[in-house]
Amino acid sequence: MGIPKFLNIWGTHQFWVGFFQSLGVGRIVFSSDTSEEQYREYGKGRITMDSCFPVKALAGHMGELLHKDINLLFVPMIYSLPSFLKGHVVDTLSCTRVMMSVENIKAGFLREKNEFEERGIAFVSPFVPFAEPELLPKYLWESLKEHIPGLTLEETAKAVKEGFRALEDFERKMREKSLEIIRWCVKNNRPAILVLARPYHMDPGIGHDIDGEFQQYGFPVLWYNYLPLDDWLLEWLFGEEIRAGIIRSYFDISDVWTSSYSSNTNEIIWGAKFSARFPWITGVIRLSSYECGMDQPTFTPVQKIVESSGTLFFKFGELDETKPAGSVKIRVETIVYYLEKYSQDIIKKKLSRLGAVPSQLLV
Amino acid sequence: METKEFHYRAYRPRPFTKEERSKTTILFGGLTWKHERLIQGSLERVGYKSMPLPNIERQDLDIGKEFIDVGACCPTTFTAGNLARTLMTLREREGEEGVKNNYLFVTIGACGPCRFGQYHESYERVLEGLNLTDFRLFLLDLMQMEQSAPGGGLEISMPLTFGLVYSMFYADLITDMEYAIRPYEVVEGSTDRVVKESIELLYEKLKNRPIKGKKIDSLVWHVFTGYFVDALKEVRRLWDEIEVDRLRVKPKVKITGEFWLQTHEGDGNYNIKRWLEKEGAEVIPPPVAVWMDYLINMELFKLEDAKGFVKRYYLKKLAIGTIASLYRMVYNRLRRALNNIPNPLPDQRKLKDLARPYFYYRLTGGEGHMLIGKALYAYLNRQAHMICELSPYGCLPNTMSVGAMAKVLGDYPDLLYAPIEIKGDAEVHAYSRCQMILTEAKRRAKEEFEEVLERTGLTVEDIRNFEEDHPELRRATYKVPHYGYAGTASNYVMHIAKLMGRI
Ligand code: SF4
Ligand code: SF4
Repeated sequence: MGIPKFLNIWGTHQFWVGFFQSLGVGRIVFSSDTSEEQYREYGKGRITMDSCFPVKALAGHMGELLHKDINLLFVPMIYSLPSFLKGHVVDTLSCTRVMMSVENIKAGFLREKNEFEERGIAFVSPFVPFAEPELLPKYLWESLKEHIPGLTLEETAKAVKEGFRALEDFERKMREKSLEIIRWCVKNNRPAILVLARPYHMDPGIGHDIDGEFQQYGFPVLWYNYLPLDDWLLEWLFGEEIRAGIIRSYFDISDVWTSSYSSNTNEIIWGAKFSARFPWITGVIRLSSYECGMDQPTFTPVQKIVESSGTLFFKFGELDETKPAGSVKIRVETIVYYLEKYSQDIIKKKLSRLGAVPSQLLV
Repeated sequence: METKEFHYRAYRPRPFTKEERSKTTILFGGLTWKHERLIQGSLERVGYKSMPLPNIERQDLDIGKEFIDVGACCPTTFTAGNLARTLMTLREREGEEGVKNNYLFVTIGACGPCRFGQYHESYERVLEGLNLTDFRLFLLDLMQMEQSAPGGGLEISMPLTFGLVYSMFYADLITDMEYAIRPYEVVEGSTDRVVKESIELLYEKLKNRPIKGKKIDSLVWHVFTGYFVDALKEVRRLWDEIEVDRLRVKPKVKITGEFWLQTHEGDGNYNIKRWLEKEGAEVIPPPVAVWMDYLINMELFKLEDAKGFVKRYYLKKLAIGTIASLYRMVYNRLRRALNNIPNPLPDQRKLKDLARPYFYYRLTGGEGHMLIGKALYAYLNRQAHMICELSPYGCLPNTMSVGAMAKVLGDYPDLLYAPIEIKGDAEVHAYSRCQMILTEAKRRAKEEFEEVLERTGLTVEDIRNFEEDHPELRRATYKVPHYGYAGTASNYVMHIAKLMGRI
């Protein structure tokens, strides 16, 4: 089973591992990280329409897998996502390009001849609505049953549960790790950086390792999607606003964002709110791809949410396939200078607006 | 307390109260002048003062870019710029207080991660940029009829909703007539004149329509009344007067694409429909009504997928199915009043099945699978010689389905397809791309016409002679049936041949 490591696989891969293991699929092969070489060698010429690079890169991932020893190529059309924000937002949809990209890129492999068939690889691309848990097994089963002989709907439903469990386990571990980092910052009174981007910006070919550059300067880097969600922490940050009737829960973003349809966007907005309140996050790095239509309306609100608290905000926009290594280095150096210069003031200022630091942070 | 002041808050319009209704003008826009004029009539009937935004102009794109964040799709930029230009003009005329107190802007939205769902975020940047954050901007969701803006000034009631639906239907039907007739009009300008007269007549009808009940009684009246059909019968008489020459051989070009761009008539899409007509084509414009039909049917398809998981499945299916059929029934009744000249709404199930191998129907956003479904439908049913697909620069969903068309074209190499990217400032490029495909479409239309003449053994002269004895054939409202040819002239020849008893 080959799975391209693209777009929403970055937020859900543990689900797929758990799911296929439960079904007894022998071996899962992921494509490598995105790279210019991968795109050039396997992807170019298959793109039929100009779009953001994260979508175009899928062609490279699929092409690469066609050259691997696999029988089945699994490329899900992920329509909606599991999100920790569910409940106080309108929806948890994927970016329309993310969900539709498969149909687009697939066409590039079928246009002249069926390249999947030619290589003896079955192509499976189920519709995956994570937000409709009762339908999820049905759609997955319908697309997989002819390729996995004897597969029943019940087995698929069980595998979906296993998938969710694996994903939750993974996320819990990541959040614990983030909490550890946060505690280290508190203990040593050191600033941290929060990255606001889409999960696939963790792919070095999409996010160009910008987060890594900061780590080299000794700044711990947190990602918004793995922030700790412990009640005592969120109570400290958001409790007062709930009591004032501004928000209904820790996860309510309606005070700053009224179009909460897209899960990644909602989470980015929530991450911005978190960073604005949490004292030891003194700098936010926003990453965004060239031509990203989902990010576009969020640029000003996110920046304002972050900056209104005095937190430093830096944006690396228009990221594309070419890695602007030199200019990134220079910008990172400048940003680090600002972070070093102002972080302690920012921590103090932000602390003064909150109640006493919860004991759980001081361990 | 400091925390409350210091955090950023989303824009919230201040309330609009019932008492303010008579003094406040509702601004709205986004459709053609025909749709907007009729919406105005519907709004006025239920007590609102209203004013459509001015027609989109090229300058709106530049104005929009100045205010909103970089990277917006072209429709967002155009409409945001249009709003900005309007507010600036009003401010100059009536001062800042005047704009804030005498006007408000309503936009329909809320249906997903792109498109309308986020337009208003960009409009808010406009208000910030103009320092008019006190100006009221409301986002209404027509699919949830109960929603209303704070303050109770804006009420979505049954009579209002149905008024809007009829405005949309009317404008769609007149637009369909317009594009079917203008290329063949004998007296230049007669179609445009009748379009204007028709819209004014319908505006009056909507403005003076009776209000019968508020809830279910209103629904029943609106669905079954003869009032709206009778109005169109009056309109038909205006169209009866236009003389046409259907022997002009023209390629038929079906317009598809992103919702705003395909329905738009103005600089926002380089006025591409008029341009195509000028280049000698007959255009099939897309009705707004198809999109509503799509939304209703998607609910039905989703429900069918969830069979076995939904409580009271059959009851729900019956309910949505009934809405879907009533919707079509009303549209078809209105079409009939215009002698069925306007095109019928495409069968959504067929579109979905046609698109299925290329684009999965549950991938919603933008036109979803419809773009592919419509192109295939038109091709297979010989509705058009060519598809002109309008794709906005920076669009999210549209780019994806346009890309998926690659496989369709591999399977149907004969399908003439012109995807045009609309950037707002690359007019020449767009025209020349379109022109290339159009040349081939013209050739096909001509070939087809010659084939029909040969098949029927008729000459143009024979037909002209026949027309002399049957002047009603040259009436705009004369319905020529479809004989399996894309071109109007070809079908016309077949029809004459049939009338003559030759086939
Ligand atoms: S979120 Fe932005 S970068 Fe990602 S797929 Fe959508 S448009 Fe492209
Ligand atoms: S469908 Fe495309 S053009 Fe229309 S609003 Fe959405 S992104 Fe913009």
